[in-house]
Order: sequence, then C-alpha cells, then structure tokens
Amino acid sequence: MLNLISQIVANILFSTSIYLLIANSFSLIYYATKHFHIAHAAVITSGAYFVFLFANKFSIPFPVSVALAIAAATLIGVLCEVFVYRQMRKRNVPALAYLIASIGLYVVIQNCISLYFGDDTKIINTAEVTVGHQILGAYITTIQIITVFVSITLLIAVNLFLHFTATGKSIRAVASNPELCNIYGISSNKVILIAFGIGSALAATAGILSAMDTNMTPTFGFNLLLYGVVAMIIGGVGSTRGLIAGSLMVAAAQHLAAYYIDTKWMDAVTYVILIIFLIWKPLGFSGKRLKKVEV
Amino acid sequence: MEYILHLFILISFYTLLSQSLNLAAGYTGLISLAQAGFYGIGAYTTAILSTQFGFSFWLNLPLAMLISGAIAFVVSLIALRTVEDYFIICTLGIQVILFSVMNNWMDLTRGPLGIPGIPSIHFFGLNLDNKISFLLLSIFLVAVVWYILKNISKSGYGKTLKAISEDEIYSQSIGKNVYQSKIISFTLSAVFAAIPGALYAHYITYIDPRSFTVNESIYILSIVIIGGLGNLKGSFFAATFLVLLPEALRFVGMPDNIAANMRQIIYGLLLVAVMMTGKNGLNELLSKKKVIKF
Repeated sequence: MLNLISQIVANILFSTSIYLLIANSFSLIYYATKHFHIAHAAVITSGAYFVFLFANKFSIPFPVSVALAIAAATLIGVLCEVFVYRQMRKRNVPALAYLIASIGLYVVIQNCISLYFGDDTKIINTAEVTVGHQILGAYITTIQIITVFVSITLLIAVNLFLHFTATGKSIRAVASNPELCNIYGISSNKVILIAFGIGSALAATAGILSAMDTNMTPTFGFNLLLYGVVAMIIGGVGSTRGLIAGSLMVAAAQHLAAYYIDTKWMDAVTYVILIIFLIWKPLGFSGKRLKKVEV
Repeated sequence: MEYILHLFILISFYTLLSQSLNLAAGYTGLISLAQAGFYGIGAYTTAILSTQFGFSFWLNLPLAMLISGAIAFVVSLIALRTVEDYFIICTLGIQVILFSVMNNWMDLTRGPLGIPGIPSIHFFGLNLDNKISFLLLSIFLVAVVWYILKNISKSGYGKTLKAISEDEIYSQSIGKNVYQSKIISFTLSAVFAAIPGALYAHYITYIDPRSFTVNESIYILSIVIIGGLGNLKGSFFAATFLVLLPEALRFVGMPDNIAANMRQIIYGLLLVAVMMTGKNGLNELLSKKKVIKF
C-alpha cells in the first residue's frame, strides 16, 4: 500500500513538473500577447522530433542534438510570430482571428512532421535503458528526476528574469500596456519576439523531456499543451503560485482518476475540471482577472 | 461512377456540417470546436437505436436531432458563460469529453470497436442502399437545411444574432436577450449537425469514434472559415473544394498517405491566410474587398 501511494505521488510529481513547464512557457507568450498560441503544441512536438532527427538519424552526440533541437524548435515559434502574428497585429484583426490562425499553423506544422517522420510512435534512443531508482517503494527513472529539477530550475529562472532584468521588466510592461510601452520607446514587437523565443525554448524542452520519458507521435504535443493551458486557466494568468497549483491540480486529478476510475477517463476528468473552474471560479486560484471571462 | 457518387455524398455531409456550424460561428460569432462531437452524437444515437431497437431512419433522424439538441442545450448553458478565446477552449473541452464518452463507454458505444451492422434506409418499401437514391435523399436534406438556415438569417431572430456577433453589449442595451439568443443558436446548430450524423451512420453502416475527433472539428471549422463566416453558399463551395482536394492531389500523382497530409497542410495554410488578412473567407481573400469584422 505504501509502495502504491508513493508511486502515485511520484507520478503526480513528474506530471506536475511537465505541465508546469508547459504552462510556464505558454503563459509567458499569453502574458505578452494576450492571445492563445495553439501552434505552441507543434513547437513542443517539433522539439522532440528534432532530437530524434539529429541524434538518431544524423548521429550527432546527444547533448549537442538536444541543444540544436531546442534552437530549431525555438526558430519555429519565432517564425510563427514574425510571419503570422506580427502581420496580424499590423492589420489590427479581431482578437479571435489569432486563435483560429494559430490552429491553422498547428495543423500545418503537425502535418509537416507527419509527412517527414510518419505517424507511427517514435522513441528517442538514449544510451541505455535502466530499471529506475527505487525511492520509498516508487520506481522513478533518471529522466523523471531530471524533469522535476529542470522544471523547477526553469520556473525560478523565468521568474528571476521577469522581475530582475531590464528585458524581463519590459515584457511585464508590454503585458500591462503595449501602447504606452511604444510611447516610452520600448518596442512591443521586439519584446513579444523575446517572449516567443523564451516560451518556445521552454516548450521544446518540455517536449523533449516528455518524449524521453515515454515516446512520441506527431500529435502528442497537442494534449500536453491543452493540459498546460488548463493548468494556466485554473491557476490564473500571470501568477507563478497559480501555475504551480493549477499544474498540481491537473496532474493529481488525472492520476487519481486513473487509479480510482480508469486511465481512459484521464482526459475527460481534466476538461471537467476546466469547465467547473470556468463556471464557478473564472478568475482561477490566484483571483487575477482573465480577459473578459465573465459576460 | 460509384466513387464519384460517394464523393458527392461526402460533399453533402460536409455541407450540412459546415452550414450548421455557420449558424453558430458565422451568424452569432460562437466559434465552436465541438461540432464533430454533435455530429458523433447524431451518428451514435442512430446506430444504437437502429441496431438495438430496430428503429427506422425516419424515427432515428428526429430522435438524433432531439438528443443532440438536448445535450447541446445543457452544454451551452455552461459554455456560454465564457466568451471569445475561453469559449473556444471550453468547446474544445466539450469535444474531448464527448469523444471520451464515445471511445470509453463500452456498454453503450462499444468504444473503439465501433458499432457495425447499421441497416440501410427504407423509404416506403424502397431500399435506399444504392448510392444514387442515397445521394438524392442527402441533397433533399441539404436543400431543406439550407432553406431553413437562409430563412433564419433573414428573420428578425437572424438579425439579432448578427447584432450580437457585431456588438454584444449594444444588442443587450437595446433589449435583446443575448444569452438566450446564443443558447438557441448553439442548440439549433447542434440539432442540424445531427442530421449528417444520422445519414453517415446509415450510409457507412459502421461507425467508430475515430470519425468524431478534435481534428474533425477543426476540419469543419476550417470549411466555415474558408467559405466565409455567415456565408452559406461559401460553406457549400468550401466543402466541395476540401472534399475534392485529396482527389485532385491523387490525380496529379501524389500517393495516398502524402495526399492526406497535404490536404491538411493546404487547409491549414488557407486558414492562416484568411485569418491573417482579416478577410471573410477565401472568396474575399481573392477579390480585394475591404476588411470586415466579425
């Protein structure tokens, strides 16, 4: 029994850190631009597939290919911003158009990945397959431990960046009022580009870690992103504590549902929670105001 | 010839689906990603009623519409408390929940195994199992739905919906019941989406949840966007274009598996192109008209 409890806790902890990383990356972009960037899911996926491409096909050493993959996936996110969203901001299109265009972008990138790599399940080959460490009766793999540490480290790093560097402060400034920023000589386009860069790099990292833990298909990023988005909405936008609480809640609900009901209802439970929150607590845990949630 | 008829039948299904979504998305501005879910409810209701209880199509169709509408009504009470981006995410959640139910409720839907052996449609003793008569039936239903939607858009209620999509707060200020109008629009949209669902179940005679995924919802939404919001004729042309597109790609010598991905890439690009320029549909994108808001 103790083994089971500690295994569930370990699983929750691992999922929380993946969702936290994704929610963190997504909310950074959402924070700066105020629109949902669904193509972020394709950035998550492409990070993992670039590692597969570099490490397994071109046999580049693993750490180098991870770095290259993060760079390449970041480039995809940045290109989305430069060639699509920036043009849309220039034309002053209605707010909903961004979300629909990002869905289109997601469809395009995901299908390009499908075309090149095929739809079958792929595994990123790391050097050896090990049983995993046994901690308090729970089996935990090395990659899961790395994930937890990476996620926490990056969360702290992003927070320090946002609060203590000039660039980070300008991201927060643009988030609160882009027009005023332009008047004061902070280019909102440049700041949003930086947000997209950092956000995409974080997302690619999350994708790689998740793919190394289990495996990957060209669509695996979409579900991961949606869990992250749910965590962000539950937690409230622009609040670090909210993000942690939201990710924890999504992960806990999923694993408890998997244990008490069945693993196949994990998705449904996640969205039931989202809908409950959208109705009874539209401002999330943190109580910060989301954009126009109430009618 | 059989295959061409099959394509025409598919076009009629997607015309029905996209026009029904157009009522919510185009007229009222409720961009929904749950349309494939309601399509699925229509198909599953029909499949279960006809295989378990031996009901005929003519009884299944109204029942499917009723059940889909009832579920949409309950769902809309919840979803319509949110607006814009959050509404889309909320409908996406509903789509995932509906799909999970279809995929996992083994006792009712047989899950991923699907439901085989759905009988074909009988019409006054006439068996509609050949494609031509089925196509005629579908065309008839397309015409009926098209006519109804056209009249809704012209009616006072349609004007209210238009006003809501343009300025919600203003419509409320002149005494329109925005929440109620939205609920009716969303529910009606799901009611009409059940029609192609019922047809699909009787046509293919076998359904499984994979036909009613999020991707299908995105596809239906793309048809509406590419055809133009609030443009029924546009939805029809866009449905025709997107159904025939993989055939055209195959015609130029592209292998099947690549053509499937290429089709999605092309409609994804069209979606981005239409949204980027702020135009309403491909039609306007090509003819350099001024930017409109929705």
